[in-house]
Amino acid sequence: MSKTAAPLLAIEQLTAGYGPITAIKGVSLAVTAGQVVSIIGANGAGKTTLLKAVSGMNRATRGRIVFNGREITRLAADRIVSLGLSQVAEGRQIFAHMSVADNIELGAYLFHRQRKRQLIDEGKEAVYTMFPVLAKRAGQIAGTLSGGEQQMLAIARALMARPTLLLLDEPSMGLAPLIVRDIFRTIEQLHAGGTTILLVEQNARAALQVADYAYVLETGRVVLEGPARQLADDPKVKRAYLGIG
Amino acid sequence: MESFTLTQQLLQFMVTGLTIGSIYAMVAIGFNIIYNVTEVLNLAQGEFVMLGGLIMVSLHVALGLPLVAAFAATVATVTVVGMLLDRLAIRPVRQPTVMSLIIATVAASMIFKGLAMLIWGKNPYDLPAFSGREPILLGGLVIQSQYLWVIGFMVLVTVLLALFFNRTILGKAMRACSDNGAAARLVGINTQQMVLLAFAVSAAIGAVAGITLTPIALMDYDRGAMLAIKGFAAAILGGLGSFPGAILGGIILGLIESYGAGLLLSGYKDAYALIVLLLVLFLRPSGILGGMAAARSKRV
Ligand SMILES: Nc1ncnc2c1ncn2[C@@H]1O[C@H](COP(=O)(O)OP(=O)(O)O)[C@@H](O)[C@H]1O
Ligand SMILES: [Mg+2]
Repeated sequence: MSKTAAPLLAIEQLTAGYGPITAIKGVSLAVTAGQVVSIIGANGAGKTTLLKAVSGMNRATRGRIVFNGREITRLAADRIVSLGLSQVAEGRQIFAHMSVADNIELGAYLFHRQRKRQLIDEGKEAVYTMFPVLAKRAGQIAGTLSGGEQQMLAIARALMARPTLLLLDEPSMGLAPLIVRDIFRTIEQLHAGGTTILLVEQNARAALQVADYAYVLETGRVVLEGPARQLADDPKVKRAYLGIG
Repeated sequence: MESFTLTQQLLQFMVTGLTIGSIYAMVAIGFNIIYNVTEVLNLAQGEFVMLGGLIMVSLHVALGLPLVAAFAATVATVTVVGMLLDRLAIRPVRQPTVMSLIIATVAASMIFKGLAMLIWGKNPYDLPAFSGREPILLGGLVIQSQYLWVIGFMVLVTVLLALFFNRTILGKAMRACSDNGAAARLVGINTQQMVLLAFAVSAAIGAVAGITLTPIALMDYDRGAMLAIKGFAAAILGGLGSFPGAILGGIILGLIESYGAGLLLSGYKDAYALIVLLLVLFLRPSGILGGMAAARSKRV
């Protein structure tokens, strides 16, 4: 990873939690434009807390988050989206009582407010091409989709905002292996298309495979980082996260 | 035409019931709009109706503004009052729990009532019916034209809201907030703005109910609480949060009241709503249209 150019996202010494509970402590990480960066770690390591701090859903108590040269540490979530940073939350968080088409429409909420009709139409075409199943189910209530389809919908909705940086929180959670493969193929496709991605996963093997660079989070701290290929060969990572050795 | 047949009388009660029910339906819809976005029961909802009626009286009767202009100005004024309610009473609450916010709406309703008493005094006010007081004779029925205005405005409000929630991005954004607030923020929806919008729309609908009701039933400073209770009973009866439920609940409640007062005891008119409310809470707390298959939107 080139350290010369300023990264698209820089997290510096970030501490965040829930009331008296500190879930992440002094975490620093960087995401270079155009790369896929993965954060792996066990359940409860603080991965979701970290992503929520970035997307503005949960306030950091200490540290800084700089996105695209601008500090976003204390911005409201809806402002952060408008700067080009979208999150696909853990557990998908689709609008379950609304139609698939409405979910996708709402992904472009900001463009609707700015009356950028063309961006919306292009976005729809792109996501329906990427996920033909969503086009087929456009009129269906989103809560009735299968788990995999819901995950695709969540990703499609986030893509409608044309994010420069996409945060994905455990997109493979609770999905059958075949569907997980589809999801990771989607991530590769987005990567190839130039989207920068910060991916959080418990599925360490797949997460390291798609990533350029990776971090290992343990009980709220970064304990290891490096190029994804290198990390995949690390004996500690192999033992703790890949079930080898 | 001195004596009515029983059938005619039953039909007459039905028309009255539909009219009163339309008012309750509008109050119930107002409840639901705010409830769906915030989970707060706005117990000041009836005050919007009271203010709608009294402000209309001031603008139309006292100041002599033409009907349509006074109507529009009244709705606009009450809409601003609704927005102020959000900004001054709801948003500043430090530890916003559903309960503390509901208590804030109760406090606000007392303030509205007190201010209304200072401004308009305690006497009830009349408002000219929109198209005169000459009743319409329809197959032996005597219908006040204002009844038709009330029912017509309820239908209009319903149609406009259906278009708003299903066809416009702002309406969809409000539904998104009630569906999943966290996800709404993640797509860039300013949820506080949506709450403000919910209060504005609810207040506007309350004003329409008050303006159309006043020529039939007069209006005074003290009417808000009872209207809120009736509207609340209608919302609960139909299933809290459901718009078709609000209309159904309002109409049923109106009919019960009308037939109850006409055929049973007229003195207990106001008690019927409370009896219905208690029965629903005991027997089917989810209401008539509440708690249908999870896949169907319970909010719309
Ligand atoms: N809403 C919450 N309130 C209190 N503690 C929480 C909450 N969410 C997560 N935690 C705690 O914060 C720590 C980190 O959780 P989380 O960020 O969800 O981890 P991960 O996503 O890596 O599984 C855990 O100890 C968890 O119990
Ligand atoms: Mg998590």
